[in-house]
Amino acid sequence: MTTTPTTERRARRERDARRRQRGFTFVDAIKPLVNTLPLTEVLSPEGVDKIHRASMRLLKEIGVLIVDYPRAAETFRRHGAIVEERSDGQLVKIDEDTLLHFVRQAPASFVQRARNPAKDVPIGGRHTVFAPVYGPPFVLDLDRGRRQATIEDFRNFVRLTYMSEHLHHDGGTLCEPNDVDVKERHLDMLLAHITLSDKAFMGSVTHKENARDTVMMAEIVFGAEAIRERPAVLSLINASSPLRFDDRMFGALEVYAQAKQALLITPFLIAGAMSPVSMAATLAQQNAEALFGICYAQMLNPGTPCIYGSFLANIDLKSGAPCFGTPEGNLALYAGAQMARHYNLPYRSGGNFTASRIPDAQAGYESASTFVTTVQAGVNFVLHAAGWLEGGLIAGYEKFVLDLEMCGMMAKFVQGIGLDEEDFAWDAYAEVGPGSHFLGSQHTMRHYETAFYQHGVFNMDNYEKWESEGAEDAYKRANAVWKRMLQEYQPPVLDEGVKEALLEFAEKRRAEIRAGRLARE
Amino acid sequence: MDFKDLPDEELWLQMQDDLYDGLKDEVVEETKEALARGYSPTEVLAKGLVAGMDIVGVDFRDGVLFVPEVLMAANAMKAGMEILRPLLTQTGAPRIGTMVIGTVKGDIHDIGKNLVSMMMEGAGFEVINLGVNNDADKFVAAVKEHNADILGMSALLTTTMPYMKVVIQALKDEGLRDKVFVMVGGAPVSEAFAEEIEADAYGRDAATAVDIAKRYMAWKNAQRAAT
Repeated sequence: MTTTPTTERRARRERDARRRQRGFTFVDAIKPLVNTLPLTEVLSPEGVDKIHRASMRLLKEIGVLIVDYPRAAETFRRHGAIVEERSDGQLVKIDEDTLLHFVRQAPASFVQRARNPAKDVPIGGRHTVFAPVYGPPFVLDLDRGRRQATIEDFRNFVRLTYMSEHLHHDGGTLCEPNDVDVKERHLDMLLAHITLSDKAFMGSVTHKENARDTVMMAEIVFGAEAIRERPAVLSLINASSPLRFDDRMFGALEVYAQAKQALLITPFLIAGAMSPVSMAATLAQQNAEALFGICYAQMLNPGTPCIYGSFLANIDLKSGAPCFGTPEGNLALYAGAQMARHYNLPYRSGGNFTASRIPDAQAGYESASTFVTTVQAGVNFVLHAAGWLEGGLIAGYEKFVLDLEMCGMMAKFVQGIGLDEEDFAWDAYAEVGPGSHFLGSQHTMRHYETAFYQHGVFNMDNYEKWESEGAEDAYKRANAVWKRMLQEYQPPVLDEGVKEALLEFAEKRRAEIRAGRLARE
Repeated sequence: MDFKDLPDEELWLQMQDDLYDGLKDEVVEETKEALARGYSPTEVLAKGLVAGMDIVGVDFRDGVLFVPEVLMAANAMKAGMEILRPLLTQTGAPRIGTMVIGTVKGDIHDIGKNLVSMMMEGAGFEVINLGVNNDADKFVAAVKEHNADILGMSALLTTTMPYMKVVIQALKDEGLRDKVFVMVGGAPVSEAFAEEIEADAYGRDAATAVDIAKRYMAWKNAQRAAT
C-alpha cells in the first residue's frame, strides 16, 4: 500500500495513454534492426567467385556506356581504363585490379546524420534500416482510388513516416508531386523532409543542379563541415541498365561524391529485358554495374560512403510487366547480399514488393515473401519497406500501414531466441506445474508487455466479434489507422533561424529557376 | 492510508482505479472502508467493484489490456467480493448469480473455460469450477447442490462437442432444465450448434459470456421481483 501523505488519488495506470496508443505508436527515437540470426546464403564461395569473375569479364570485355557525360569517361581514362568513342557516348572498359583498387576505398559501414541525432542511422554490418517507398507517380487510398500524386500526398507520406516507429529513415521521393513544376519540385520535397520530419532523408538526383541544392540545404541544416565528417544525405544513383549510366545520374553522383555525401548505387534490372533471362548473368551484370558506379565515386573522392544496390525483378514474358516476390527474384536478393559482403560493402535491396494494384491477397503474399527474404539476406538499407504497390507505380496509404506491421514483426524476429536462465521460466513451472495455465504466473506478469510482438493493424478477433464490429478486412482497418496517424501528427521542433534560412534559400532558387538561370553560373 | 482521507466520491474512483490496476490488497481495504462509512454492500458493489470491472471490460474488449492484467483485476474483484458476499446474502440483495462451469467428458482443454470462470468471478458471480472431463451426472449433481443459476459447458474438440447435448438431456430428465440457464462455448462451437442442442446461449469469448450472464441475471431478478 502506498503511503503518500496527500489526499490525491493514485491515477489509474496509464489508461488514457494506452487507449491513445492503440495501433502504431510514435516514438521519438529510432531503433534500427540488429540482425542476430545466421543469414541465408544461396551461393557457395565458389559461386560467389564465379559471379565475381563473370562481372570482371563484362567490365573488361563488354564495357559500360556513359551517355552525355564525357567528363566521367575522362576520369576513368585518367585512372587507367580504356575509353572507346561511340556515336551514343563513351564505352569504358576497366580491368579488375584498377576497379577493385578504388572499390576498396569505400567504407564498410557509415552513419548517416538525421536532423534529430537520436535518429542517426547506422548503415552496414548487421544493421537493417527500413525506409518507405520511393518514386511512385500515383497514390492510392480506399476512399479516392488511384490518382496522380500531389505535393500534399508527398507531405502526408513524410508525416506518416515520421509517425512510424518501424521506419528508421525518411526515404526520398515518397511519391512524385505532379502538381509542382518538375524543375522546382525537389525544393518542395526537401523542405517537406526537413520541416515535417526529423529523420534522415534522401537527396534529389534528377539533375546536377538539384543535387547542388540538396547539398546546400543540408549545409544550412547541419553545417558544411559536419556533413563532410559524416554524411547527412543519401542519394539513389540508378544505372540505366544494361551497362549504361547517363549524365543525370553521374552528374548528381559527382556533386554528392565531391561533398562526401552517401550514395546508393543501384542497377535497375528487370531480368529478361534489362539483363538476360538467367540469374547468373543478371547477378554478374548487377555486380559489374554497381561496382562501376562505386568505383567512379571513389575516383572522385576516396572514402565516399557507398551502398551496393540491387533492384532486381524479372519480367512476365507473356505481358512484359515486371513480377515481384518471385522465386527467381528472391534467390537473386540473397545472392546479391553475398556479393556485397564479398566486397565488404553495405547492401541495399528488397522491400515490401508486389505487382498487385491494391492491398489484396496477392499483395500480402508477394510482399511477405520478399520482405522475409530481405531480412534473412541481411540487407542493410531497405528502400520500399512501406507503401509499395503496382510494381512501384503506386504509393498506397493503406499498404503503407499494412507494411508497417511487417516491419514491426521483422524487428522482433531478428532478435532471435533468448536463452538466459530467466528465459527458461523455471519459477513459472514451479508455480503452475502440469495442467492449468501460465496466463497469471509471476513470470508472465514480468514479461507480458514485451514477450510477444503487439500488432498494430492485424486483427485477432474471433469471427463473431469481427462480424459484429463491421466485418472489416485489413484494407479497411488500415484506412482508419493512417487517418488517425495524420490526425495525431505534430511536426517536430525545428530551429526558427534554420527554417527561415531554408525557406529563403528555396525561394531564391525558385526565382532563379523560374528566370531560367542556373545557380552559380 | 491515503484513501481514508478521500471524500466518498473520490473513494469510488480510487476503488475503480485500483481494481483496474489489479491492486488486490488496496481493493480489499477500500471495500472495508466504504462499508465502514455506512454504505450498503449493494452500493459498494455497484459504485466501486462493478463500476471498476466495467471499465476493465471495455478496455479488454478494445484490445487495450493484456489478459494477465485482466486476470489481476478479476482477482482483485474476487477478493472484494469475498467480503461483500456474506453481507449481500444477509441483506437479501438481488443475486449476482451462481455458475457451475466445466469441460465436457473426453475433453481436457480447459484454458478457455478457466478464463471464462475468472472473468465471471471478476463480474461478481460465484463460480463452481468443475474442471475437466465431466460427465452428465457430475454436472447435474453440481447444479442441484449449488442451486446454480447458470451452467457453462465448454469443448475444444469437435468430437466432444456432441456430449453437451447429453448433459442437456440429463438436465431435462432430472426436471432441472427450466431452472438453469445453459451456456456453451469453445473454439469449434457456434451459435447454430448452441441452437441445435437447445442450449440457451453461446458465448463467443469470455467477455461476451460475462455480458450474456449478467443480462440473464438482470432478467431473472426482474422476473423474481414481479412475482
